[in-house]
Amino acid sequence: MSTVSESVVGSTRSLSAAKRHKSIRKNSRRIYSAYQDNQGSSDDQDKEDERADSNDPEEMFQNIQYQKEIIANIRTRPWPMRRKLKVLKQAREIVLKYEGRLTRTRGYQTAGADLLKKLSRVLYNILVLFIPWEVRIKKIESHFGSGVASYFIFLRWLFGINIVLTIMTGAFIVLPELLAGAPFGTTRSKTIPKEHLASAQDLDTIWSLGGYLQYSVLFYGYYGRLRKIGSAGYRLPLAYFLVGMAVFAYSFIVLLRKMAKNSRMSLASASDENFTFCWRVFCAWDYLIGNPEAAESKGAAIVNNIREAIVEEQEKKKDTSLAVLISLRILANILVLLSLAGSIYIIYFVVDRSQKLEQEKPELTLWEKNEVSVVVSLITMIAPSAFELVAQLEMYHPRTSLRFQLARVLVLYLGNLYSLIIALLDKVNSMSSAIPLSPGNWSESSSFLATISQPEGNSLSTLVSEISVSEHRNITIATIATVLDVRNTSTSGSGVISNQTSLFEKNIRSQQDPCWETYVGQEMLKLSIIDMIFTVASILLIDFIRGLVVRYLSDCCCWDLESKFPEYGEFKIAENVLHLIYNQGMIWMGAFFSPCLPAFNVLKLIGLMYLRSWAVLTCNVPHQQVFRASRSNNFYVAMLLFMLFLCMLPTIFAIVRYRPSQHCGPFSGQEKIYDIISETVANDFPLWFSKVMSYVTSPVVVLPALLLLFMLIYYLQAIARSLKFTNNQLRIQLQTERTEDKKKVFQLAAARLQAPEADKKPDQQESDVTSQEASIHTPSPRRNGSITDFNSPVHRGNSIHTITQSASRAELSRGGVAGSVRSPAVTILPKHRPPEHTPSRSDTQQFSQSGRPPPPFLGGPSGSCRSKSYHHMACSPPARYSDHIQSDPLYRKTLRSIHPMEAAGIISAQSYGGRRGHTTRYVIVNEHDPRKKLLRSATRIPRHFLMEEPAEILELYPRNIKRYAPRSAHHQPHPHRSHPSQQHLSEEEEEEEDGKGKRRISLGKAHRPRSLSDLHQPAHFYIGDRGERHRSKDSRGRYGVHEEDEEEDGEEEIDWGDLEPHSRSQSNVRGADSVLVRNRRHIHSPGRPCPSPVRSMHMESHVKPKTRPKLEPPLTESDSASLASSSDQQNSSTDQYIQVIHNKDHYLKSEARQGKQAKKKSKASFDLNVTESKDLVYSNV
Amino acid sequence: MSMSFFIHLFSAHKRFTELLTKDEKDLPNNRVPMERILTLPELKSNPFRKRICNVFSTSEYKDGGLTFEDFLDLLSAFSDSATLEIKSHYAFRIFDFDDDGTLDCGDLEKLVNCLTGETDDTRLTPEEMRQLINNILEESDIDKDGTVNLSEFQHVISRSPDFVSSFKIVL
Repeated sequence: MSTVSESVVGSTRSLSAAKRHKSIRKNSRRIYSAYQDNQGSSDDQDKEDERADSNDPEEMFQNIQYQKEIIANIRTRPWPMRRKLKVLKQAREIVLKYEGRLTRTRGYQTAGADLLKKLSRVLYNILVLFIPWEVRIKKIESHFGSGVASYFIFLRWLFGINIVLTIMTGAFIVLPELLAGAPFGTTRSKTIPKEHLASAQDLDTIWSLGGYLQYSVLFYGYYGRLRKIGSAGYRLPLAYFLVGMAVFAYSFIVLLRKMAKNSRMSLASASDENFTFCWRVFCAWDYLIGNPEAAESKGAAIVNNIREAIVEEQEKKKDTSLAVLISLRILANILVLLSLAGSIYIIYFVVDRSQKLEQEKPELTLWEKNEVSVVVSLITMIAPSAFELVAQLEMYHPRTSLRFQLARVLVLYLGNLYSLIIALLDKVNSMSSAIPLSPGNWSESSSFLATISQPEGNSLSTLVSEISVSEHRNITIATIATVLDVRNTSTSGSGVISNQTSLFEKNIRSQQDPCWETYVGQEMLKLSIIDMIFTVASILLIDFIRGLVVRYLSDCCCWDLESKFPEYGEFKIAENVLHLIYNQGMIWMGAFFSPCLPAFNVLKLIGLMYLRSWAVLTCNVPHQQVFRASRSNNFYVAMLLFMLFLCMLPTIFAIVRYRPSQHCGPFSGQEKIYDIISETVANDFPLWFSKVMSYVTSPVVVLPALLLLFMLIYYLQAIARSLKFTNNQLRIQLQTERTEDKKKVFQLAAARLQAPEADKKPDQQESDVTSQEASIHTPSPRRNGSITDFNSPVHRGNSIHTITQSASRAELSRGGVAGSVRSPAVTILPKHRPPEHTPSRSDTQQFSQSGRPPPPFLGGPSGSCRSKSYHHMACSPPARYSDHIQSDPLYRKTLRSIHPMEAAGIISAQSYGGRRGHTTRYVIVNEHDPRKKLLRSATRIPRHFLMEEPAEILELYPRNIKRYAPRSAHHQPHPHRSHPSQQHLSEEEEEEEDGKGKRRISLGKAHRPRSLSDLHQPAHFYIGDRGERHRSKDSRGRYGVHEEDEEEDGEEEIDWGDLEPHSRSQSNVRGADSVLVRNRRHIHSPGRPCPSPVRSMHMESHVKPKTRPKLEPPLTESDSASLASSSDQQNSSTDQYIQVIHNKDHYLKSEARQGKQAKKKSKASFDLNVTESKDLVYSNV
Repeated sequence: MSMSFFIHLFSAHKRFTELLTKDEKDLPNNRVPMERILTLPELKSNPFRKRICNVFSTSEYKDGGLTFEDFLDLLSAFSDSATLEIKSHYAFRIFDFDDDGTLDCGDLEKLVNCLTGETDDTRLTPEEMRQLINNILEESDIDKDGTVNLSEFQHVISRSPDFVSSFKIVL
């Protein structure tokens, strides 16, 4: 046998050498153009694959699935278009070609799904066309970057909300009232009082929303109190109330959903790792910026940013004159607080004054009428700038100062709105209490009652008496008593009388116009209008005129206008967003009292959109401190939510607390606004319903429900807390892993330093390698029993002799007698070990030893299988290390010449056929070699790699190359070759001693993967992914029999199952960097956050016990090293890749099995396992 | 395919053909030299414009000329729908000035210089530059090999809140 194989090797050597040469050239080109695609080769290979496809439906199905995956993921590949198209086309062809052979229904299903997908896409695209202002926003985005655009996107989103609100109020309140309600002038609440009629059309009346506007659908007061209107019996009052509440409910839901969505999106950035410098450099530029000026300012901002970061870093430890700074900050805060208090006081004062003016003067001037809203708008405009000035005192970091600024402005706005609404409600208070009917809802009213009841008692006015009579029905005896009481007291006080007349005057007026709801609505609408005017004015004056002046007068001015004093107006994103929020708050506050407010706001937002975008494009420069757009989005929404809540409170308060006006509005005559619900339930619903309602609202039900809610909240909170906890745990784990990674790198560096030493004794090293291989071989018989335990010592043996022995025996033993044959090798080997050990090698060897835990306690096949998977992991590190260690020039050179050998080996292996055959194939698969084609016809697996790998390799190559470049430039073309060939050299020598070709082949096999892993870890890793995928599919579909036979297989599968989604999701993370991998996993699959760590820990635990018994004699350094390595595994992607290989083997095996004898049952599978494990071992090494 | 896709395609093609001279228009598969590509306002003010052209160019002369296909590649990498992975991949290549597959000190220095501009008042001093690069490597270079490789880069970038939203070019 051996001689035959020799000759084969010899003959094929030259051929393969020539090929190798070519491939070298190809590879070299690839490397130099590191990122260029290597579509040519992959394409060829694809075609090969197509041909190689067998008729096996299972395979076909898998293939189709795979191709579909390609089609689905093609967009996520960083390939040039041409390549994408080609791959896509091929994949489609394959799918089309073979899908028909499978069941027809599947084809229909997929066709239907495709159609649906296409349709939905078309629909989506059509929808996109209708998104308002998309082009405009894109334009702004392309000029000013994403930060400015975020303002407009936010504005558009608000616009959307307001549209919905408008539709709600318009469709359910305004339209019914207009269509079916009593027409204008029919009832008292819908007619303009006679004394106002003359001035109803005056401009200033209209301006202050009086006259016709006041008696229109704009305001609460106009709506009729009829319970049902129109022929259909529309319940307007009920609708009014429900819609008023629905406005809030809808806003809440939308905001919360948006927040949830945003936070989901920003989950990745939630961690507090910060890459300040990296982000400032890598992510600094906004590629959307297309405007030279914006680019300039952005550039300046970046420079500032970077400088700032550097300075910060330099002065991190230094503390600058704290006392001064603190006092300055205190001063600034005091100033801010003062201005806040001042603004609140001014607003309150103004409202109060307007109230007084209204009472005292019959005719108000324009200023007096609009005083309140003008003052409020002025404050909202001026105060932020003042705050900004103050903030300069504080000398905070720009980011912090921006935050402070935002918080202050928000407080200011809220303070404004609140003081306004409180002042208004105060006025309402006095207004509604001015009517004699409110029976002591609040204490102050009693004093008013006194004055009011007096005129009644004297029957001075019929009107008043009318009212009072009508009201008396509602008043209880007790209240009458109090009124009488009050009357008595008031009559006793004669001083009151003088007041009475004036008050009475006012009362008459307020009784004609007693609608406090309308009044509040008017004020809010007025405020909104004036705010709009001020916004427009500020845009025109501050931005536009200033821009004009700066641009055209800069030539004839003594200083540079553009860069010194006036400059161009900055677009202050944060402030503007806050203004939007404030504006929206006003709308929410007033929407209940003025149903048309949302509609007005829609118009306002449209106007604002156009004006702002125009202003931004013409006369603004972007703010220097760009508020991070994506992160701030949620911040905006959160503030909006806050605003919504705070704006809802006054409305709710007014609804709950105050009695609705008696002569206007849909709720007139009711005690409380919300009485409409109970009234409706009582009157219009069937009896059982009201009964049910009474039960439901009884404390018996409400209390438990509340309790339940509390429990639910508590539970959810607990879950959230535990999630946070696990999150933290994972993060900590990640950090430790990273530090361990670092440690490993240091070890690696140490190994590198020692590498030169190692070079001096290449033979020994090689022998080491071979010994490892030998150890690798041993596993094959392992499943025969506990014998495997003895094998472990074999690994330690470094001498060539032992290796050959063990190897050859392994081959022999494969027949099935493994146990007895084995033992001798075992006993012999350990002795050799100590002297042969070279320092550089030592760690890797130890790793490998530790890694192979021929499991003493895991007898039988199951044990071996499990050990396999673990030890793959363990073994991987050596691969990594070895690449560094063995990257010496000497080898490189030898390698090339020897290449052919390897090829020959493969070929010869093929010739062996049978079990042998697939192992060789496997090897081939791993190589990225044109030679694959020859062998591939037999196996199907390679195709996946063929299609996928090259790209990955290309990407990753540079790293390796870089590393090796200084040492041997010409070797670069195919670094992965180097190792195997080297191996072969040594093998050849050995062979001469042995004369056993078989062994050599097996060695070659064993080494191949290892060399690959050395040089291309990333590529491997990727392969692993693929393999996993296959495997998983495989195991589900095909491995049924298998699983029955072996439990451990199932276990493994579970592991895989865990990994699978991760690996899939992370296919992008090709790097060997473990931390990355980890992170990805966690992030991508929140559903299963723990599996990987758990798994890794699991592995660790397994590895530890196993290794210990074995290494008992030399438990010293090697043991610790092995432990370290095993723990390291967790971090490294290698574990994955190893497993992958393992899977692949499975896959291959299964394929082979199928090809050979699909019907064999348990026995066959057992055999399979045997071979499998062996193969695994090979691959590992 | 969808409407908007074609609209985008047409607009891209229009923009591209505007860059061609008359006699070039008749040739199939013609390449627009980098200088003319860079006159596009979307790229004009980009400090990495030359790198962008070089990265997406398939020209064998390494002159950064783009065919229409390359141009589409560019646009798709910078489009809204490109994934973070694609974007970070191309960003890495753009920043990898010497095309060696890693960001080493030289690359980082060039990158920072591109951002800050070459004028004396904006340019960082060697001392600042050294510190900056050290800090960057400190943060991102997980395997401590003195360079930032693709996976490390993607790791950093994937944490950045607004990389995806800013790594866009809209025609």
